[in-house]
Amino acid sequence: MRGTSEIGKRKIVNAAALTLACAAAGLGLFWLIFILADVLRHGIAYITPGLFLNEAAPPGMEGGGLKHAFIGQLLITLFAVLIGIPLGILGGTWLAEYGRHHSIGRFISTLSDIMISVPSIVIGTFVYAIFVKPIGHFSGFAGALALAIIMLPVVLRTTEEMMKLVPWEIREAAFALGAPYYKVILQVVYRGAATGIFTGILLAIARIAGETAPLLFTSFNNMFLTTNMNEPMPSLTVTIYQYAMGPYDDWHEMAWAASFVITLFILGLTILGRLIIRWKYKN
Amino acid sequence: MSDSIMIVKNLNFYYQGDVHAVKDMSVPIQRNQVTALIGPSGCGKTTFLRCFNRMHDLYPGHRHEGEILFEGSNLLERKDITELRSRIGMVFQKPTPFPMSIFDNIAYGLKLKGIRNRAELGDRVEQALRQAALWEETHDRLKQPATGLSGGQQQRLVIARALAVEPDVLLFDEPTSALDPISTGKIEELMVSLKQQVTILIVTHNMQQAARISDQTAFMYMGELVEFGPTETMFTNPREKLTEEYVTGRFG
Repeated sequence: MRGTSEIGKRKIVNAAALTLACAAAGLGLFWLIFILADVLRHGIAYITPGLFLNEAAPPGMEGGGLKHAFIGQLLITLFAVLIGIPLGILGGTWLAEYGRHHSIGRFISTLSDIMISVPSIVIGTFVYAIFVKPIGHFSGFAGALALAIIMLPVVLRTTEEMMKLVPWEIREAAFALGAPYYKVILQVVYRGAATGIFTGILLAIARIAGETAPLLFTSFNNMFLTTNMNEPMPSLTVTIYQYAMGPYDDWHEMAWAASFVITLFILGLTILGRLIIRWKYKN
Repeated sequence: MSDSIMIVKNLNFYYQGDVHAVKDMSVPIQRNQVTALIGPSGCGKTTFLRCFNRMHDLYPGHRHEGEILFEGSNLLERKDITELRSRIGMVFQKPTPFPMSIFDNIAYGLKLKGIRNRAELGDRVEQALRQAALWEETHDRLKQPATGLSGGQQQRLVIARALAVEPDVLLFDEPTSALDPISTGKIEELMVSLKQQVTILIVTHNMQQAARISDQTAFMYMGELVEFGPTETMFTNPREKLTEEYVTGRFG
């Protein structure tokens, strides 16, 4: 009889745990869908060609757009990618290959994991202190640098993990054919890890595309279109922040629209990343 | 009696921390024959096998004494490892197809040797696949990923890849232990037929396999060579009691 009551007790605990887990998941999902639906519902109404084609109108005037912010955002992201991705891939390669057996390698991996969870505003103030302050003005470069620092540990760790997934035996087989280590990495390991690394890059871009705090201290903002990375530069996120706080209705509308665009962009990147992973494991 | 392609003389091998894994091995490797290395797990046979193409060079801390004579010089002291490894190929326990097409897998070693001519690559890939009895199954899908092949096919692909660079010696480290009986049979047939072109050294845990395919057998125990001789003698009338006990399955 003891056995039956034991099983009965387990069933109750199981049901309780399951209920709690479902409730927690449901609560999370509810807010997620609420936010997404709200942004999409409000945002889609204000998507007009003018939003992408016009620059900002003087405050209070009708008919402005966010062309300057879109271009600024793209430029800052592009430069962040140009800095962050090569560094991340090279660093990840070192960790997965040459640093594999060194304790310093494991130390750097752990440090990267910590860096991934550092609040992005801390990175912003860091770049402000080491870059903006010495130079004396905000700039697109500073923004790109802050975003690059945020994506660096993500790319680094993804590259490392994906390269470590390529079995060591495959490397030995390439060595056994007489290949030197750099060729083994370039021609064999990267091929095996390419899809994973690419997905990691997409997710890293998605991660930085929505950052506002680090840009506030670095690229700041600009009401005018600029392609000079050495000037303060507008970005979608900071513009959303500023417009949403502003006193004008059309600013609010544009902030909704911009939120819609950036949410869709990040959503698209993330879904693309997941699809690639799924496609990869199907094959 | 055919001649020796390699002669191992008083080889000692130590892993990091002075772990003595191979003890004073001396053994001739006969040209165009299959030499099987047998012995219980941990007896040093794989360590011994990996000396022949210097796989140990990848890892720090090991050292060796003695020599393996190959074409008149000690291969353990050679400078050009790339050249050595293209002469002495290796096939591993688990199939190791590279994450690329079947064609590119076979062509990999050739490209390392500097062969770029497409026509020549094509010819040599076909020749290697035919030698490995894989051409019929793969000739219409050379561009497809090698990872799509079955385990047995992958292992034959790896053998074809090793054959493509026209090595003198092929080392097999338990090449069929991850395969089903039918694939194992095919690989065994293949190894026997390859004797015309290459000398084969195979580490195996499977006594029947050693008996079926090898001409010479070396029995190792705790890092030492217990007995070496023609396979038939080793399995029917061994000199040492230990060999007899091992080949009859009384330990190991």
